[in-house]
Amino acid sequence: MSDRIREGRLVRYYCTAGNGLERFLVDEVKRKLEAENVCQIPGKVLFSSSASISAVSELKAAERLFLLLKQDSPVQLSVHTSPAKAASILQSKLLADRNQWTSAVLTWSRLQGELVSRRPTDIIPGTDLGAGKEEEEGRGDKEQRDEKEKCRMKTTKSTIQQTEKESEIRRVTTGEENGPQTLEKKRKREKDTRGIGEWRDVERYGEISGAIGEAPTPEKKIKTDDEEWEKRGGSVCDHARRGPGPDNDVDSVENVRSTRGEDKISAMEPRLLPRFPVCFRISCKCTGSLSRFFSSQELSKVIGIGLSRRLGWKADLKNPQLEVNVCLSDDHCLLGIPLTRLPLANRSYIKTTGLRSTVAWAVASLAQIKPGSFVVDPMCGVGTILIEAAQEHKDSCFLGVDIDDGQLQKANENVEFANLGNKIHLLKASSIVLPLPSASVDAVLCDLPFGRKFSTKTHMSANLPVIVTEMERVLCIGGTLVLLLSPQLSCLLKKLLAQKSTGSTSNEETKPHTGLKDCPSSTKQQAFQIHQGVKSSSAQSTDPQSEPQHSLPPPLSSLKHQATMRVSLGAIDGLIHKYVKVDA
Amino acid sequence: MKLLTHNMLTSHVKGVTKGYPLLIKATEVKLNEVEFNPQFVSRMIPKLEWSALIQAAEELGHRQDLPEELLPEYEKNEEFLKKVHRALLEVEVIEGCLKCPESGREFPISRGIPNMLLNEDEV
Repeated sequence: MSDRIREGRLVRYYCTAGNGLERFLVDEVKRKLEAENVCQIPGKVLFSSSASISAVSELKAAERLFLLLKQDSPVQLSVHTSPAKAASILQSKLLADRNQWTSAVLTWSRLQGELVSRRPTDIIPGTDLGAGKEEEEGRGDKEQRDEKEKCRMKTTKSTIQQTEKESEIRRVTTGEENGPQTLEKKRKREKDTRGIGEWRDVERYGEISGAIGEAPTPEKKIKTDDEEWEKRGGSVCDHARRGPGPDNDVDSVENVRSTRGEDKISAMEPRLLPRFPVCFRISCKCTGSLSRFFSSQELSKVIGIGLSRRLGWKADLKNPQLEVNVCLSDDHCLLGIPLTRLPLANRSYIKTTGLRSTVAWAVASLAQIKPGSFVVDPMCGVGTILIEAAQEHKDSCFLGVDIDDGQLQKANENVEFANLGNKIHLLKASSIVLPLPSASVDAVLCDLPFGRKFSTKTHMSANLPVIVTEMERVLCIGGTLVLLLSPQLSCLLKKLLAQKSTGSTSNEETKPHTGLKDCPSSTKQQAFQIHQGVKSSSAQSTDPQSEPQHSLPPPLSSLKHQATMRVSLGAIDGLIHKYVKVDA
Repeated sequence: MKLLTHNMLTSHVKGVTKGYPLLIKATEVKLNEVEFNPQFVSRMIPKLEWSALIQAAEELGHRQDLPEELLPEYEKNEEFLKKVHRALLEVEVIEGCLKCPESGREFPISRGIPNMLLNEDEV
């Protein structure tokens, strides 16, 4: 895999991530993409990488992937500023640097091209053979894609007929998302609206890439624009040539720097050049003090108009070539262009979705799975966690257990669909009596049913001690237990384990969930505890009478707490607990 | 159910002290072509109860001359690994049952998924 890395130019991206998943994404981009300058803000992770775009688009903890267009200090306006003044301040701040915009579009266009012809392992850059191959496979892929797009078109046909006004409103509402509560809803809507704009993007890209031979002699109609573009393109290159040379100097403007070789590209790969004027739309999300001046919708308009005026780009709400996401808050000012039509969190290999894929992946990523590990999910449902784990760990063996035939059937279909039948095995049994020998399992992963989505006959809180005891039994010494729990169950389990461990020292700080700027390196501090007000210090809780009726003496003291992390599951939050079984 | 799964399963019927290995009674066995991954197989071998695998493969008529004792330096023996791969991952019991060697309790296998669920009085 590492030979795939470092094949291209350094590009600065950002990804959106569910609340609580940022730190997982930070680890992932560092590990898989050798990312540099990784930076985490609530709901987003920014990073630079020269990995191939197909590797970048395989990130598992991310929701959506964007090319960074601009990151700036937050816009601060005095209360007395008039709206007109505010608009002009914004325009000059965001649009002053033309190169930033044009070079971002160039980079975006190049990455789109690479995404369409994605076969990362086969591409040998720089050789004729490789180029030819890429070309050929690109076509094949595109054909497939076109097929898909056609189908999509049918289903979205009715939505396309919406009036422009409607789509404008919807456009605004589908802007950048942060809030976990609305994420789910938004995603649904996004599925509808995205379809319209973005399949057309692909089609347009098709036009661009189809114009391989003819690009140098553009149609008369847009000739003047092209000339203007050439001027601009030239200036980009000039700027770039003058720019700093060394690769490790990442700070300033990746996209400008990344155009260093753009003159060469324009000669070699005319198909990658977008046709100017760029036809765009703005999706704006505006929070904080700025929202006193403008609604997100008004802001989109202000920026859109400014962009048309200054760069001569064409606004097209219904049918844009590209979308620019603008996110303005009191803390950040972030502009980016989405790189994929569907969120990365939509897995192509999962048929029936259970738990959100990114969270399932996060749970699996904590389990320290190694080649040869035997991993069990005692309440696997449709198998989402195991599939995410097995995708990542090819040389390990996974067993999914569930008590429900319907769930197992779906799990079975999912496993076959993902082509993981030789790695993931399924079994019907109760999580209270697992048909496995003691100390035979390297990792236990489980999303304990919350009773919201699944009405469980057995009362989970009453059974929790027995279930965890059984998990502990099958784990070998050194084995890992990773559980995803509701806040209530998380409390209960903490209490339970605190009673068992006789005054253990794992006494954590109680801290309200602020969800803000935690340093990714210190996971201990991020161990959010949700039960402030409730007795939380484990050493002090000495009230054994509150224990549920199942008061068998489980040897749970062998489970050593490693971390607790809070993640958003959409409507509610979940807590991921990680334990390691030690020799007690 | 593949024999890799079978190798891990044990019966926990009340009162049973050694519910391992489970006997297999198969009425439908399928052979699947599964991509051979020598690393995976050699990683799995140390986790296996070798004699249980041999017994199970024998019961299903797919032992292929696998030896009673695990070969030394099997990691380098591709031919051997291929045979183990076949027994572990390609032989699949679709219909049949597993039988607890001690209590005689039978666990049905249907559509390839063993049902190891116990009744309340068996726990």
